[in-house]
Amino acid sequence: MTALIRPPAPSRRALLRAGLAGAGLLTLAACRSAVDEVANTSATAESSDTPRKGGVLSVATGVDFTPSLLFAQSANTLVQRLVFNTLTRYDDRLRPQPELATAWEVAPDGTGVTLKLREDVLFHSGRRFTADDVVFAVKNLQNPARSAQLRSTAAAVTDFRKNGDFELTLLFAHPVSNLFDLFEFMIVPDSDSVEDAVAGTRLIGTGPFTFTDRKPGSSLTFTRNDRYWNPGRPYLDGVEIRIVPQAESLLSSLRTGQTHLSYNVRGKDVATLRSDPQFRIKQYDTGAGAYYIGVNVTAEHVGDKRVRQAIAWAVDRERFVQQALGGYGSVSSVPWPKSSPAFTEAGAGHYRHDPEKARALLKEAGLDRITLPFAHSNDPGATATAQILQYDLQQVGIDTVLQPTDSPTMQKQLISQSMPALWTLSHGFAQLHPATLAVSAYPFNEARNSSHFTSPAYTDVVQRAWNRGDSDSPEAKALYQQITDVLLDEEFVIDLAIAGLVEVAGRKVQGATLNKFGYLNLDDARLTA
Amino acid sequence: MRTFLLKRLPSGLLVLALASFLVFLILRLIPGDPATSLAGPDASPAAVEAIRAQLGLDQPLFGQYLGWLGRLLSGDLGPSYAIGGQVADLIGNGLGATAQLALGALLLVVLIALPLAVAGATTRSRPLAAVIQAVTTAVLAVPPFVTGVLLVLVLAVSLRLLPAGGHESLLAAPDLALQYLAMPALCLALPSAAVLARYLKDGIERALAEDYVRTATALGVSRRRIVWRHALPNALPSAVTVLGLQIGHLIAGAVLVERIFAWPGLGQLIEQGVARRDYPVVQDLLLLVVAVYVAVQLLTDLAYAWLDPRIRWE
Repeated sequence: MTALIRPPAPSRRALLRAGLAGAGLLTLAACRSAVDEVANTSATAESSDTPRKGGVLSVATGVDFTPSLLFAQSANTLVQRLVFNTLTRYDDRLRPQPELATAWEVAPDGTGVTLKLREDVLFHSGRRFTADDVVFAVKNLQNPARSAQLRSTAAAVTDFRKNGDFELTLLFAHPVSNLFDLFEFMIVPDSDSVEDAVAGTRLIGTGPFTFTDRKPGSSLTFTRNDRYWNPGRPYLDGVEIRIVPQAESLLSSLRTGQTHLSYNVRGKDVATLRSDPQFRIKQYDTGAGAYYIGVNVTAEHVGDKRVRQAIAWAVDRERFVQQALGGYGSVSSVPWPKSSPAFTEAGAGHYRHDPEKARALLKEAGLDRITLPFAHSNDPGATATAQILQYDLQQVGIDTVLQPTDSPTMQKQLISQSMPALWTLSHGFAQLHPATLAVSAYPFNEARNSSHFTSPAYTDVVQRAWNRGDSDSPEAKALYQQITDVLLDEEFVIDLAIAGLVEVAGRKVQGATLNKFGYLNLDDARLTA
Repeated sequence: MRTFLLKRLPSGLLVLALASFLVFLILRLIPGDPATSLAGPDASPAAVEAIRAQLGLDQPLFGQYLGWLGRLLSGDLGPSYAIGGQVADLIGNGLGATAQLALGALLLVVLIALPLAVAGATTRSRPLAAVIQAVTTAVLAVPPFVTGVLLVLVLAVSLRLLPAGGHESLLAAPDLALQYLAMPALCLALPSAAVLARYLKDGIERALAEDYVRTATALGVSRRRIVWRHALPNALPSAVTVLGLQIGHLIAGAVLVERIFAWPGLGQLIEQGVARRDYPVVQDLLLLVVAVYVAVQLLTDLAYAWLDPRIRWE
């Protein structure tokens, strides 16, 4: 008979190890999952399509909020319409709709507008909104330190006449055709806290969400404004804007459901999401979405407009849209998107890819092969864009020396008019009334622009288009066509493609919209399960 | 120890003084300025000049430098130009997040490097030694931005085990905070762990070749005891020096890793500060990094002396 061997008793050390391992496993089991927690914030929302309250919408952006640019159109305009309201908002056909102003009447000679204001609006601080706040908002934009692109339009307001707390007349130095662009652009801040707002510490407005917290470089959080003037709105309990600077990480945050919505997905990445049923993709003609080559007309060779036209003929815009924008955009020789009253098919298609014509124009200008400096932003997307353009120009005899430049340096060069012969960037402001582009967007500004371009004819036609009370009469449209003709002939800004903001939204998200300046409007937004 | 500290403090202070001057100067030498960043893309030159005057950037450079030093010494870091808020608050918040990341990474460095080094130095299995060698080489060769993206794709996008990015307060929700920390800390730790493992492995191998190890073996002391009680402690001083240097790398590497994982630390803050030419933020932060580096080197010297009895405080 074989004796049973008794297994050795576990040592104290082994028991301790087993105990620790068990405790570790139990702790892990008791832990919440960070991935599930994120999903649960939106799971509190409704489970059908009927609008009901609930949920926190998470928006991913690659660019952090810059408080000093709160009153300007910049790379990040997500915050403006969450916390603040504008006087009016455009519909899809550029017709103003009521917001803080319920009615308006423009004087027959175009030198004034009388506004009737909502009487049931409270700032987040509890203070009532009145006509004084509109006066403050206009004066705030007139302040050069606010860097508002529509400052020239705000500066045209010379007087205010109040008729009670909720009626106000703005008087202008001259008629302005882009008055409602100003009302779409101008957020109404709380006068008591405006300096805190531009310092990024306190944002108080009348909008659907109250500002809760900001972690620079990380996130901004907002909670529902229960006293919002729009009945039953917003549906969401809150909004979180997550700053995810790395493009790949931003895409991952959307794919994992950590964020629900973004307007900062690169074109080539959008293309990879197109077939994914998890996402809905929508394109807006708003934002800084027109790509162009800027030309310093005082630089060697490019002072001759035939050389500039040669560049315009040399670029293969179709390839540019496919390769640089992932197919999200439309080729265009003019700045206007299709929604603009200045848009014409003939203008958009004026310059096609015609290397022969480009070479002929260079020859006509007495040039065979030239070398030009070519500045571009130093981020990977802009570098790829510049390389695509460099190839096209090389094919017609224009060699370029690429100059990658960081954003503050480029901004300084633009403002101080010290750009090299060529540069590539994007511009906005063409999605509005055409005069706004020529008096507000720096590349096109008739008085002073980065290209050093001046022309009495251009100034004359721009001023005539701007200084009129109507914006869509046949006369106004004739003036827009004249502006287009000057731009196509002089080519100091060579437009390549129109590509507005692209919205990538998870299937759960409904009702998010942008205004013409890219302000995120979540009044009607909701999350579904 | 006091004499030891007193001997090293002046050189540390000199490094800080020189660094403050260089940081201030270099920032002014790079093109672009805060006023143009603040003014926005469509600002007029008049608006830019008004902002420059408002920020005091139109004053002589030396006056600006002395003003900054004066504010620093009085403990007032002032407001940020572009990011918004007070610089002290920004740095305070970022410091917490970066410290969390750096400490997490440091812990992982030790946890990964120690077993790898011991296994590498003591194994008699050639395939295992080759695997350890290959792993440390590969980890060292692959840059953190590649490791980070791969980790996100596997652990967050495919397996949905960990969040793709973001941050949670360790005090408010420690269980969630650790999950947010796991990937960035691992990504940051891997190259430093590989470096430390190699140094430590060499140190242990050298120690194992010493006479006292042969004597201990002859006396019947177990292999495990020889490695853990005798060889490893003797290899530690040089490894601690390497670890001290790696802390500098961890802080530097945090800039990249924080960007990949949207981690709101000092790295992100520096990057934002440089991109917007936010002089106060960048100056104060870079000086803080230098100060941390100086302090770490001082602590490393102290630890070295403590670990090696042959080195005396004096």
